[in-house]
Amino acid sequence: MLALRDIRRRFGHTIAVDGLTLEVRAGEVFGLLGPNGAGKSTTIAIATGLLLPDSGSVDLLGMGSPSDPKVRMHLGLAPQEITLYAELTARENLRFFADLYGVADARARVDELLALVELDARAHDRVSTFSGGMKRRLNLAAALVHDPRLVLLDEPTAGVDPQSRNRILELVRRLAGEGKTVVYTTHYMEEAAKICDRVGVVDHGRLLDVGTVAELVARHGGQSAVTVERDGVEQRILTADPVAEVARQFTFVDGGADGGTGPVTGVRIERPDLETVFLALTGRSLRE
Amino acid sequence: MRAIAAIARKDLRLLFRDKGDVFFTFVFPVIMAVLFSFVFGGGGGGGGMIDLAVVRESDSTLARGLADDLAKDPSFTTTSFETREAAADAVRAGKATAAVILPKSLDAGLEGLFSGQGIAIDVVVDPSRRAEAGLIQGKLNELTFRQFPKLFSNGTEMKRAYSAARDSIANTRGLSPTQKLLGAGMITAAESFSSSIGGEPTADTGAASASDGAFFAPIAVKVEELAPRAGRPRAAFDVTFPQGIVWGLAGCFGAFAASLVTERSRGTLDRLRLAPITAFHLITGKALACLVTGLFVQALVFTVAIVFFGARIAQPAMLVVAAFAAAFAFAGLAMALAAFCRTEAEANGAGRGAILILALIGGGTVPLFFMPPFLRTLSYGSPFRWAVAAIEGPFWRDTPLSEQVVPLVVLIAIGFLGWIVGARALWRPFAR
Repeated sequence: MLALRDIRRRFGHTIAVDGLTLEVRAGEVFGLLGPNGAGKSTTIAIATGLLLPDSGSVDLLGMGSPSDPKVRMHLGLAPQEITLYAELTARENLRFFADLYGVADARARVDELLALVELDARAHDRVSTFSGGMKRRLNLAAALVHDPRLVLLDEPTAGVDPQSRNRILELVRRLAGEGKTVVYTTHYMEEAAKICDRVGVVDHGRLLDVGTVAELVARHGGQSAVTVERDGVEQRILTADPVAEVARQFTFVDGGADGGTGPVTGVRIERPDLETVFLALTGRSLRE
Repeated sequence: MRAIAAIARKDLRLLFRDKGDVFFTFVFPVIMAVLFSFVFGGGGGGGGMIDLAVVRESDSTLARGLADDLAKDPSFTTTSFETREAAADAVRAGKATAAVILPKSLDAGLEGLFSGQGIAIDVVVDPSRRAEAGLIQGKLNELTFRQFPKLFSNGTEMKRAYSAARDSIANTRGLSPTQKLLGAGMITAAESFSSSIGGEPTADTGAASASDGAFFAPIAVKVEELAPRAGRPRAAFDVTFPQGIVWGLAGCFGAFAASLVTERSRGTLDRLRLAPITAFHLITGKALACLVTGLFVQALVFTVAIVFFGARIAQPAMLVVAAFAAAFAFAGLAMALAAFCRTEAEANGAGRGAILILALIGGGTVPLFFMPPFLRTLSYGSPFRWAVAAIEGPFWRDTPLSEQVVPLVVLIAIGFLGWIVGARALWRPFAR
């Protein structure tokens, strides 16, 4: 669906993308996970043809570079910024983009999208009067107006309230259900873990690894940690099978030299996640 | 075509929803036109040198002396023309405030100097410059008086004048023999006086002569106004409404340039560029909105001029062409300005500052004829000058088509150039 091969892009002395190779499969939700400044947005800009790479190539749908308007027609982008006209209404914004793409029966398509992002009741209100979450949803709707096969969402939940975030995540899953391919950049690992079929971990312009969340955790997450509490004393045990370890802990009373004595009064299991993966891959936390 | 129309429609909506842009595009130019018409009420006048087109049809001493003194006078900047038609064209085109024609019959006037006929001088004025016409008339009286000592010392010329005066007295019916004798005696005395003097008078004595001698009207200035339009006299409004129009165009040019810069800085432009449209679609859509607004502004200002100030349009069809050319030029300029400004602050600061400077030197605030020569030369570099010239021609100057071609061509060229520069700059990332 989308193939980036050995992409490099530099801005002055700063290397934004450093030899990134990536393949997004048709119908999947692909997450690009990385901290701010990792090169995610630059990668998206290159993938859409808005920015040309210094070297490397981009292929969309096997049709060639998205610099070609005919190829570009098949992708939709919801940029990180709210790229809407604040003084136009929600309907006018969508209608404008529909006309730009030559959408047949634009009125019906606009109605459909307003309903999809649950803004039909505010269709005639100016965007300037919308909340951050509503703007984000409309921003996403504008990317879908021409029914593209590939949708690129650059940090679509940045700065929105939890309710709007859930709506957006739900919407992304719906798009995937309709067979669309979605590339989703985020620095929220929970989001990536929740909605992405595969995740690529990016840092300093390099793609560090790609796989399903389970694959990445298996490769880089290490063992789970089981914390057992006896008589006010906590014991942390690393294990590949935390459930079996918990069961085992309940079978004896003495925790040994490090674990105290008496019956188990508390148990906590810490499974490795994308945060652990990122820490393992980069040596630093995703939230730093 | 649908994409172009969509872009134009969107930009027009945005313009009309911004109160500031609406004010500067539609209200401000009308206020400017009306206020300046009061400032320059009565057709101007005041400081600055007056451009005179001088035609010397006579080669007499008087004609040469007058032409020389007009050229030396600090109130005037003179340009010589071969024919009165060429001089009138210069006035019509706004290159001169008035034309002074020293006719072949100037000498005949000299012969009738002492018999009440006066020396005939023709003046052709721009109808909007009546105030200067009065000043020119007074100056011509003064300068003619200055010629008298030269004439008195020129035996041949004066002999002819005195002889004509004697004949006139002798042939005038109703004079008694005593009156005729007295008149002849005065002529003889004057002849004797003129043969005894020589040298140049001072400016003061000349001026004094002018005022002292007014009672016998040595010159007869015939003032002709250029091609009066149907029914209405020209007024300061004729000058200030084209100025108001270019301010309106500047307002819409600033608004569209700023909107384009805003789209770029906020990322909306990237979204437009992702659509399957070309730079041509984008820039044409935007320029179309700017053009339509420019035409609307002009229609509004002309409507106010006609309805409330009784203005009349000399060449309606040509005015439509000029309005289109002016709007096209400013639409192109808006695209070029947007290309040069990277941020909204630049567009609102440097961009509008540049507009103000270009407007000032282009006659957008102070009419060109009030400006010193070097500023008038500078004005050729301002699109405002060409817009004013293109609009004034068919609006009230009634200039022939041949003289309207240059401003129109310059405006169209500015429009195309701006369009190309803007398109290249806006689409640059895809070309990198």
